[in-house]
Amino acid sequence: MSFLHDYAYYIGAFGLVLIGLLIVLTKHNLIKVIVGLSILDTGINMFLIAVGYIRNGTAPIFSRPGLEAGGMVDPVPQALVLTAIVIGVAVLALALGIAVRLHREYGTLDMRKIKELRW
Amino acid sequence: MVSPALLVAVPLGLAFCVPLIGLASRKAARLVPIVACLFNLVVSVRLLSAALEEPIVVSMGGFSPPFCITLYAGPVGLLLSALVALAGLVVSIYAVSYIDKGATTRYHTLYLLLLVGATGVVLTGDVFNLFVFFEVLCISSYALVAYLGDRGGLEAAAKYLVQGAVGSALLLLGIGLLYGQTGTLNMADIAGRVGSVGSASLFVPMALMVVGLGVEAAIFPLNGWLPDAHSSAPSTISAILSGIAIEVGLYAVIRVVFTVFGASSALLSLVFLGVLTLLVGEMCAFVQGNIKRMLAYSSIGQIGLIVFAVSIATAGSVTGGLFQLISHTLSKVVLFLAVGYMIHRSGSTEISSLQGIGKRMPLTSFAFTVAAFSLIGLPPFAGFASKFLIVRGALAEGGTLLSVLVGLVLVGTVIEGAYFFRVIQTIYFGTGEGDAARHESPAIALVSMSVLVALIIVIGVYPSLISDTLNSAASELLQRGAYIRSVLG
Repeated sequence: MSFLHDYAYYIGAFGLVLIGLLIVLTKHNLIKVIVGLSILDTGINMFLIAVGYIRNGTAPIFSRPGLEAGGMVDPVPQALVLTAIVIGVAVLALALGIAVRLHREYGTLDMRKIKELRW
Repeated sequence: MVSPALLVAVPLGLAFCVPLIGLASRKAARLVPIVACLFNLVVSVRLLSAALEEPIVVSMGGFSPPFCITLYAGPVGLLLSALVALAGLVVSIYAVSYIDKGATTRYHTLYLLLLVGATGVVLTGDVFNLFVFFEVLCISSYALVAYLGDRGGLEAAAKYLVQGAVGSALLLLGIGLLYGQTGTLNMADIAGRVGSVGSASLFVPMALMVVGLGVEAAIFPLNGWLPDAHSSAPSTISAILSGIAIEVGLYAVIRVVFTVFGASSALLSLVFLGVLTLLVGEMCAFVQGNIKRMLAYSSIGQIGLIVFAVSIATAGSVTGGLFQLISHTLSKVVLFLAVGYMIHRSGSTEISSLQGIGKRMPLTSFAFTVAAFSLIGLPPFAGFASKFLIVRGALAEGGTLLSVLVGLVLVGTVIEGAYFFRVIQTIYFGTGEGDAARHESPAIALVSMSVLVALIIVIGVYPSLISDTLNSAASELLQRGAYIRSVLG
């Protein structure tokens, strides 16, 4: 059980990444694919946070005397995740915008039926 | 001396001025990308001569290198940013007459953001910053592929977006793993530390990053989006995607493999992937009836050739690969721009409908022919010099395996020649229906194409004009130690 306890965040993060990839690869409905992309992004964000996380760590601010840098959570991955979330939102918004237009043009979101461009 | 940071900052600022200027006058908004590209071109070329002696390293935010975001303006970065600015300038001049329908101010904003992303990717010295600029490039190109809002464009954009988003996610995962192992995001700092990390635990982040970047670079199994996206976008965007976006993706792959990981053992598989990409691209291009799809598949083939040449990793072949990258950008931009008005005049994208267009649009057809000859590698055009350098570099390395692969590359070139000659024959010798009245492209489009046509011929006749720059760019890629020292001091 100690393995699970130590690596719980990594297992959860990679689980989300794999679930997201599975959805993107197997679903045909564009909205479901977009949901899969969102889950994939969430998994990666969680992984990035887990890289820098320390159990019972504190914020990396020397607010009172006696704080040691060793017990502080690495702030860099958290800054990366903030950026990655913003980028993810932009991609999702654009994807949903395209999905709306596709539905208006084709009357369906099934990617198997939307295939005018083949060879 | 101007700071290389302005190469990113000025177009980024101007990109968000476009909607404001567009409120006052939509005509003036079209000129903003031209101004931004001209600025970037002049600054890049001026900095390039200084960077040939010593690379310029800019530390943002006032911290010293591994802690800050660095911009690394060496010969490779500035050469490519000059190329981005040149192609961007030509395409934005062309777009003044070509993009006349729809939300034109939004088009110009996104177009400038695309160029900002491309310039940022080639100049940055930080892997996370690479990801951010890469996303700026990708998101604006997704939106621009769907710009026309027709059925094909929307479908292509949806496919491109899903594949691109998965690729970016894998790239970010790779960056996260790399950060977990080395504790730094600075490329030079990572390059200095990977030696002390086990090669088995470096394989996963490298594979993730190469696959993630390879989606945008259209390396063989990852290129499903490209033919759709390039053929459904407006021709100006096809030109910029084909001439800039995939080259920048390829640069990122090369930078990650050569500089960040220094993975000489992975290069042989990249050589094979390059030849495979080349053959698949050229064979698919051969069977196309749609001219824009043919050009898109031809881009895949050319990317394969560049991957092949650079992955041999000798000074001669890397120089040849970079030369090929430049000559491909010059010719493919002209090809897509020429085809843009040919399609406009003939009303169809089928090659068969271009019969006799050489009589109706002689100047546009001439530009198309010069660019096609350069892409095939006929003298005296730029493509001849670059393909010659690649073959010479590969054969100088020796070995039976490489000789066989060079043979396959030449087979690819023959296929390329076959389909381009077929199009040129249709253009000039096909019997056009009915009216043969001259109906040339607008003057401004002809001016923009003639700039690149002149460059193709000048570089083809005097390849020594850029050989010094290419040689020092190749040595920047091959010498990791010098890169690490110049950033970290």
